[in-house]
Amino acid sequence: MSTDVGSGAGSDTTATDAGADAATGGSPSSSINPASVRAVAKKDFRDSIRSWVFWGLSVFFFTLLVATTGVISYFGEDIAAQGETTEALVAMVNGITRLIIPLIALILGWKAIAGERESGSIKVLLSLPHSRKDVLLGKLIGRAAVLTVSLVVGFALAALVVVALLGSFDIVDYGGLLVMSIIYGLAYTSIAVAVSSLTRSTTVAGAGMIGIFVLFYILWDTMLVAFMTLMNMGYLPEGETSAQVMLFFNSLDPGMAYQNVLSLVTSVGDLDGQTVMMLENMFGSVPFYLQDWFAFVILLGWIVVPIAIALFRFDRVDL
Amino acid sequence: MPALRVDDLTKSYGQTLALDDLSFEVREGEVFGFLGPNGAGKSTTINVVLDFIRPTAGRVEVLGRDAQAHSRDIRSRTGVLPEGYRTYDRLTARQHLEFAIESKGADDDPEALLERVDLADAIDKKAGGYSKGMAQRLMLAMALVGEPDLLILDEPSTGLDPNGAREMREIVREENARGATVFFSSHSMEQVEAVCDRVGILRNGEMVAVDSVEGLRNSISGGTTLRITVDRIDDEAVQAVRALSDVSNVTIGSEQPPTITAQVEGSKTAVLTALEDHGVDVQDFSTEEASLEDVFQSYTTGTEVHAQ
Repeated sequence: MSTDVGSGAGSDTTATDAGADAATGGSPSSSINPASVRAVAKKDFRDSIRSWVFWGLSVFFFTLLVATTGVISYFGEDIAAQGETTEALVAMVNGITRLIIPLIALILGWKAIAGERESGSIKVLLSLPHSRKDVLLGKLIGRAAVLTVSLVVGFALAALVVVALLGSFDIVDYGGLLVMSIIYGLAYTSIAVAVSSLTRSTTVAGAGMIGIFVLFYILWDTMLVAFMTLMNMGYLPEGETSAQVMLFFNSLDPGMAYQNVLSLVTSVGDLDGQTVMMLENMFGSVPFYLQDWFAFVILLGWIVVPIAIALFRFDRVDL
Repeated sequence: MPALRVDDLTKSYGQTLALDDLSFEVREGEVFGFLGPNGAGKSTTINVVLDFIRPTAGRVEVLGRDAQAHSRDIRSRTGVLPEGYRTYDRLTARQHLEFAIESKGADDDPEALLERVDLADAIDKKAGGYSKGMAQRLMLAMALVGEPDLLILDEPSTGLDPNGAREMREIVREENARGATVFFSSHSMEQVEAVCDRVGILRNGEMVAVDSVEGLRNSISGGTTLRITVDRIDDEAVQAVRALSDVSNVTIGSEQPPTITAQVEGSKTAVLTALEDHGVDVQDFSTEEASLEDVFQSYTTGTEVHAQ
């Protein structure tokens, strides 16, 4: 830490502070301290892990996996015959977690910052030597950890049942789904914590969560349909560019990315030969945004961008 | 180097001016009482000091560093009992303190700290079940973590019973004796006069007085009440007393023997002489100085001081 004892005006003082503050032109800017982030995350995890939330979630994921496995082993003789039972399980569970994980993450993250500002407990955090950035990151990690640990516990316990029921068990597919579910959950937790940091009212934050839900569950698809309708009716040019824009837009949806990314780590979700051929006919090659590595980039983007905006903005407000 | 320096600090919320060009200093090693009625701007000032809110204009320096640019450094050397906080319902006192100790990189013993604030019994109880006074003790214990150079206590007596308030003042003395500067706010003079070296009185976002407790007492003129026991009441004698300059609020008590009470700014002897000149026998008299509470009242409400 630089010393600035006896320096004059505020701008002079900030200039000596390792350049970090000078970069923002004298406006307040806080640094990130890993030890602080860890302390806040640990405290938040301890505080938010009310036993019923944690065990409820774990039991939920366990039940989901076991029930789906039961359905497959009961009805899916064809699937079993092809030795693709884990693949079928991953695909089916993915269809459900795609809708459920965002809900859980939004509920877990809803009050992360807004709740602390509303009640005043954030003053306890910020009376200690933590920066606002430490608090945001610690909150994100703490809340994501609750979801992550319950996913891991649910998946781990269910694995025993899955192995017993399905006979064949592909640990890579199963583990791949777990890892991607964790990343997907992290993305929505990032969105939730970021929205929660924009307000000091939990009511407004709650409305924000509903807004996010409506955006990704309803509006996103509706926009695609509207786009397609307009194109069909001739209001928008029908052609390669329009199709590209639509497909690209569709691939930005975190849920779509979660589904598409599975082929990166599992044998599920690879584009079938027919689709590939169709795409190659249309565009010459499969567009980058339809490839699984890009879906992974999209997921990472949904983790990084919301929290980055929140980090920037939260430094500049009165608590 | 002052422990705290506030320079021309202004904070407005839209049209409302919470702090108006506020300037004052807290010297290193002193106990400074920051006094003012509710809504005067005490918490706003402290919130700027802690970088919870940003000033509209002006500057705050804490322990020689800019409050905004070096907030983390400042808070690592400062113990804070904020106002309007809330403890974490699902964490115990021990967990709260462990968090504070880890956050400050200190090596205090949670039990010893809670012993000091008389909360050791509840160490493993969740803070959700605490009374306001218990929460206040817990926060005070958290403020003591890491032997801070500066203690900032915002209305520390809130929720404490008289005994708790006394214990809190005792801790303030101990911390000050250890070498810490203490800055604490209160809306009641009674809380600060016993421990403070100096007192600053805030009113409508402006500092109306900064002085030692003794200095504040002296700064109020007309603070003396003269109570005279006489053998009888004589209207002419009372008229003569009323006629004296420097004398106001002359009242007559109905008890036996009768008493005359008056506010005196100048010579008390003149009052006694006036009575005796009219043949009234002065049997006894006493004076009372204005209490600091009255001084505070006079600064914060703008009314004249009357000792009682």
